[in-house]
Amino acid sequence: MNFATRGLLELQETTLLAARAFRGIFKRPRYLSEAIAQMDAIGVGSLTIIILTGFFTGGVLTVQTFPTLKSYGAQSQTGYLVAVSLVRELGPVLCALMVTGRVGSAISAELGSMVVSQQIDAMRALGTDPIRKLVAPRLWALLVSLPLLTVLADVLGIFGGWVTAVALYSVSSSVFISAVRDGITTDDLIGGIVKPLVFSLIIGTISCRQGLSTEGGTVGVGRSTTRAVVLASIVVIIADYFLAKALQVILGTQ
Amino acid sequence: MSTEIHSTSDTISEQAAESTFHEVDDPGREIPAIEFRNVVLAFDERVILNNLSFKVMKGETKIILGGSGGGKSTIIKLVLGLLKPDEGTVLVDGEDITEHSEDQMMRVRKKIGMVFQEGALFDSLSVYDNVAFRLHEQGVPEDEVEPEVRRMLRFVNLEDAIDKMPIELSGGMRRRVGIARALVGDPKIVLFDEPTAGLDPPTARTICELAMKLRDLEDVSSIFVTHEMNNLDYICSEYAVVDEDGKVVFEREGERLCLINSKVMMMREGKVIFSGTDERLRRAEDPYIMRFLRGH
Repeated sequence: MNFATRGLLELQETTLLAARAFRGIFKRPRYLSEAIAQMDAIGVGSLTIIILTGFFTGGVLTVQTFPTLKSYGAQSQTGYLVAVSLVRELGPVLCALMVTGRVGSAISAELGSMVVSQQIDAMRALGTDPIRKLVAPRLWALLVSLPLLTVLADVLGIFGGWVTAVALYSVSSSVFISAVRDGITTDDLIGGIVKPLVFSLIIGTISCRQGLSTEGGTVGVGRSTTRAVVLASIVVIIADYFLAKALQVILGTQ
Repeated sequence: MSTEIHSTSDTISEQAAESTFHEVDDPGREIPAIEFRNVVLAFDERVILNNLSFKVMKGETKIILGGSGGGKSTIIKLVLGLLKPDEGTVLVDGEDITEHSEDQMMRVRKKIGMVFQEGALFDSLSVYDNVAFRLHEQGVPEDEVEPEVRRMLRFVNLEDAIDKMPIELSGGMRRRVGIARALVGDPKIVLFDEPTAGLDPPTARTICELAMKLRDLEDVSSIFVTHEMNNLDYICSEYAVVDEDGKVVFEREGERLCLINSKVMMMREGKVIFSGTDERLRRAEDPYIMRFLRGH
């Protein structure tokens, strides 16, 4: 099988997996307790890294942009730039990449280990569909958690930018906050929510697909985990480009 | 009074005889529990099963022997619908499952218990939750689940381990929990995929005894995949009976009883090279079979 055929096959299998997981959401039995447990593991478990990532990204944005803006006499617009960069791009993308690294790898490794130890076969033999039992709750958990984590990263990023601007560059707090208010529009907020929803689908389906297609024992688990993280990260960044353009067209902001 | 006792015991004997004859004459028993018709399966260029046909009748144990990579475990995956054949037909309890969708297979799988090579217990669940898995999935109330789980764990002699996690169990205990899990819901077909591989002889013997109990006391049809000859010795030459004290004991076949509910099938490179009784297998003159039996 050549590279293109393999790629198309992989795309087909990942799409089918996502479709079956979605169908499973509306059928009984519904694995609500599993979905809640996954939200705890994915959402609550990722809080620390998202708080740190958001805060320091906002801080470094201020550090990098303030001197440039100052040279144009536009230092009062620091809050505007930090807020727009975070809400439109950095918040959703960085959050998705952090979650891919932490959660995508864990999902892939867990499902991969279950495949090589025949636990997935055992589940099917016991009359339970692993896609409904394992994939659907993880997708649900990501769909709920990632937008919330992104909002948190945005807020903490702006807070980090504010702390840096006020503490390091003596920018007036009210100037920074009013620039933030001016900068963020409703369209930015819509984009900031739509993007994480799409990213969570990408991370969930790719990680689950890579985990469930694990072959070759424990070495295979390592391989599928690496593949899941690399593939999901790349697809998130590519999807971000097309989403940004699509949102501009749809919301009429181009 | 004595006439009354006589008449009661006569009725019981008559009922027992009637039910026995009814069971033997039941036309449903003529339908094989599992049947393969000209099954072919290949992965890319490699042929795994080559025109394979065989039947497992109700209450019969089919021991499938053969070296590693001979296609033995693949047969079990085909019965469970975990794999689909390229050609041919697979029937379970008379139902053609070859073209069944995953949803249709879920219904068929409820009739089948599966014992995996390493137990395949769910790491994150306790022994109790592992055994109760099928019942929990079916939404059975907890007050009905616990007695059933305890009954199954008693069957495999592991009731004390009910609260342990799989990581705390030895290899043999994991397999026995796997057997208990497979038997929940009293399936009439049980598939064993090398359940004694890597176990010490006494533990392997315990696993074989469980398979014999299922065959002789529960009327279960099974496929027992193995490459260990001592499994064959136990299962084909001993049977389980309940003694006067109500205990299960194992007796060797001989003048009193000759076992006809265990058959052997030997596979090599996806083909059946022998099918019949263990006595015939031991008399076979095929060099591969002779080498397999001798072990060198």
